[in-house]
Amino acid sequence: MTNTVIGSSIVIDGEISGEEDLVIQGTVKGRIVLKENVFVEQSGVVEADIETNNIEVSGQVTGNIVATDKVEITAGGRTIGDIKAPRILIADGAIFKGNVDMDS
Amino acid sequence: MTDPITVIGTKTMINGNLEGDEDLTVEGHVEGSINLSKTLTVEVGGVVRANINVRNAIISGVLVGNVEAQEAVHITEQGRVVGDITSPRVILVDGSSFRGSIDMGDFNIETTPGESRRSASVTTHTEEEDESEAPARTPTRVRTAPTRRPAARPAPSRSSRAPAKATAKKTPTKKKKPPAPKVRSVGKAKGKKRR
Repeated sequence: MTNTVIGSSIVIDGEISGEEDLVIQGTVKGRIVLKENVFVEQSGVVEADIETNNIEVSGQVTGNIVATDKVEITAGGRTIGDIKAPRILIADGAIFKGNVDMDS
Repeated sequence: MTDPITVIGTKTMINGNLEGDEDLTVEGHVEGSINLSKTLTVEVGGVVRANINVRNAIISGVLVGNVEAQEAVHITEQGRVVGDITSPRVILVDGSSFRGSIDMGDFNIETTPGESRRSASVTTHTEEEDESEAPARTPTRVRTAPTRRPAARPAPSRSSRAPAKATAKKTPTKKKKPPAPKVRSVGKAKGKKRR
């Protein structure tokens, strides 16, 4: 368990940066800069600009996302903001509002 | 994953404010502030530069900042702390390093609770010796509370003290009165001899 987990009752206001997977079950406001994978789980709420390699949104994200590999919004995921990534997946049932840029 | 355990991993850096109602383990870096209603654990390799308000803090890594804990602050062998600690219980283990002030709150030094608390803190300083000497006494490291808490209550210790004093006073006075005439007579005899 070297990954980072932000538990459901945790609120972070600031910047998270790192080089390992980040699982968000709580609330993060500010900025996220990662070189690995971000998982926003069902209970997770993110109000932040996100730069990462991969991101999977099952919770709620408000902010712009820039991913070097892939952005995936699952059936329960809600995202408001612009997405820039070479691969973008929006599942049936997902809620999304914003611009999509797939130029790589 | 569903367990409410928050971990800041070794390669993660958080800059900002962190709040929550669950245990938090820091293996990476956190700068800013931490407010928790549960236990903060800074693991070996973890670096925290923040003012901290928690219930319990267990520091095995590096902590720079002021700590306010409702219950206890435990600095382990590998722990390095610079800052001021405010907590009713502060445990510094042999091998730990700390620079700053410690405030354990208001207590009267002359009363037994203060004395017992002092002795308790002394025993925790030499925790390893205690464990080797009397392992049955301190099976758990952090939770030395049961030995302290009863001692910290002022009422029973005072009441136990007061009757002890009373009996101590009564018994010698009873003993003194009967031999008193003998002493006087001896004294008189001595005085006569001297004269």
